Amino acid sequence: MLQRMVKVQVIGPKKHLNQIVDTLYQAGTIHLEDASRDHEPGGIILQKIEPEEADTLAALISKIEGIQHILPKVSVDTKQEEAIISDLGQQGQEAIIKRAQEVIRTLEPTTKELISKKTDLEFTIENLSRYQDVIEKILPIEEQIPALEGFEITIILIQREFEGLLDLIRDRLTSITKNQCELISASVDEENIATVVIFNRQYAGEVHSFLYSQNVNELRLPPEYLNRPLKDILVLNRERKEEAVALVEQIDSDLRELAITWYMEISALRRLLTDRYEELKVYNKFGQTDYTFIVLGWIPKKLLEPTKMKLRDAYGDLVVVNELEPTPEMMDDAPTFYDNPAIVKPFEYLLSFISHPKYREIDPSPIFAIFFPIFFGLIVGDIGYGFVILGIALLLKKTFSEQFDWIRPLMNLMIIASLPTILFGFVFGKFFGDLGNRLDIIQPMTIMGIYWDRFDAMIPMLILVIAIGVFHIILGLSLGIINQYTKMQCAKYACDCRKHICEKAGMIMAILSVLVLAGALTLFIPEVLMYAGIVMLVIALALIIYGGGLIASMEIISLFGNIVSYARIMAIGISCMVLGVVANELGGMIGVAVIGIAVATVIHMINIILKMFTGSLHSFRLQIVEFGPKFTEGGGKLYKPFRRGDRG
Amino acid sequence: MEWGIPIGAGIAFGLGALGAGIAMSRIGSAGAGTVAERPELFGYMLIFLAIPETLAIFGFVIAAMILIM
Repeated sequence: MLQRMVKVQVIGPKKHLNQIVDTLYQAGTIHLEDASRDHEPGGIILQKIEPEEADTLAALISKIEGIQHILPKVSVDTKQEEAIISDLGQQGQEAIIKRAQEVIRTLEPTTKELISKKTDLEFTIENLSRYQDVIEKILPIEEQIPALEGFEITIILIQREFEGLLDLIRDRLTSITKNQCELISASVDEENIATVVIFNRQYAGEVHSFLYSQNVNELRLPPEYLNRPLKDILVLNRERKEEAVALVEQIDSDLRELAITWYMEISALRRLLTDRYEELKVYNKFGQTDYTFIVLGWIPKKLLEPTKMKLRDAYGDLVVVNELEPTPEMMDDAPTFYDNPAIVKPFEYLLSFISHPKYREIDPSPIFAIFFPIFFGLIVGDIGYGFVILGIALLLKKTFSEQFDWIRPLMNLMIIASLPTILFGFVFGKFFGDLGNRLDIIQPMTIMGIYWDRFDAMIPMLILVIAIGVFHIILGLSLGIINQYTKMQCAKYACDCRKHICEKAGMIMAILSVLVLAGALTLFIPEVLMYAGIVMLVIALALIIYGGGLIASMEIISLFGNIVSYARIMAIGISCMVLGVVANELGGMIGVAVIGIAVATVIHMINIILKMFTGSLHSFRLQIVEFGPKFTEGGGKLYKPFRRGDRG
Repeated sequence: MEWGIPIGAGIAFGLGALGAGIAMSRIGSAGAGTVAERPELFGYMLIFLAIPETLAIFGFVIAAMILIM
């Protein structure tokens, strides 16, 4: 059910702004509106409030996040963290900022220094690894490298696909060094070739400049490696790498120690600062004069008194909460606040896929909660499938609800829908398709003289679902009349609403008249009632044309299309049944029992997954396409109270 | 054997399903494009995708009635 909302103004002295906003934030009941925008012609124009501390908080959050990012993640005791948050929270904003600054002062230089050292060392390790790979590859050709005084060695790496460039480089280097150079190549891996270039040192500048200009990947060995045998370089390289790795490990250990000591406080500070920042961000929705501020928003009627009490207890008469006189325009803008029992909550989630009802409209979610499981149950209608769906839903909910927000509501929906599935399974006498019948465990029930086997009772099933469709559509139209009647209380909409009511009443009458006519023609009811049916149809047409014009009379056709659309419950149900039978047939045809059972199980599982999807989709579709538009316009704005984790 | 009845039922269901298929292919591709740009419209896309299935279902109902009656 949707809650009644009240538009309020909270007016208080500007010097207590922060504390009062904090109290409202703690109360978590007000859905904020922009107060500086809302003024009457000729009234005082309110100025927006620009919070001064927002920049400070943003900077602190960024620094704290930086430190938290550097420190390795350690498991946080949520209870202790909550205790820190509560303790610091009680001390107020100044204390939080002061503490955050202290923590940053203590940790920032150390963490920055450590991470910068670590980055340098990691870069060094990467380079050393590269040297090692290349040197190991060119070690076998060391003997070919002449040991000449006054000559320099450099290594260039070339991708194998550009191997042809080596000849060009060789020609150019020969020309630069006046034929005093040698190039020896060796394969490093599948993609790269290492080439050792030995050249007269007097041309070093020109050679390096040429290599640089050609964008060649030059591997410059550190100065201490020069003029040493490659074997010695390898040993030295390995020692340096081990040394660097040890230093990185030491830094990691230092960071871990810091994290153990500080992580919880940093995490708590980050949450506190973010919360405060979010609070401050809404300040520009508040209006101000020289000495007062005004907060404008919506509060659910039932939460208004507790909110007032909280403000009165904290500030006495300093803060005034004004309930604004509702006007049609104002109520058009009221947010929608669902207040349903837990069992209906998943159906609210379903509505979020499309559009929420407007404030004045009837909440469709409790009605969805009745019909969605019935439709799903009629479609799937199998005891075994019902239990499997229940099991899958419970398992997925338990395993993944922390990771994905959507799992919990959708699996709750499946849990609810699995119960009528089991129930209708008993009625249709189905257990994993016709397995129950084959094993003679269960048989379809006979209700009202009809043997509810899904194959034998196709026509009764069709009549049943069409009857459900008629009831559902008439219910939708009736709710539409109630919605329009509610809206009509506002004089602004009275004329339009009257016409809508006539149109919807005409549609209900048209459906009933067709039923009467069909009943009379098939002699299900006395034939004389046919005349009453004709009269009803004429009145219905008159009402529809008055309400929506000639075009609206065409709507009757789509109305009957909507009703026939409920046949999908029977059709998809039978397809589900057939696939179940196919699974059992195929399983039975295979000579080896184990393989037969495996094949049947796989097909049944595919069928179950398919039916979980199509059953939900078509039940949802019947509510949204056929039923919903008969009474709800949608486009409602959801109530988002100004509070932690759900900020307005 | 009377072939007219099963052939009629087959045509009723087959054409209904074909129509649904053609409509769904177009809605599906347009819907995929829409959801890529505006993921919040996924719910609507799913509903739109299910709408032409009515054609196949009507075809199925007619086919079933041809066979049974």
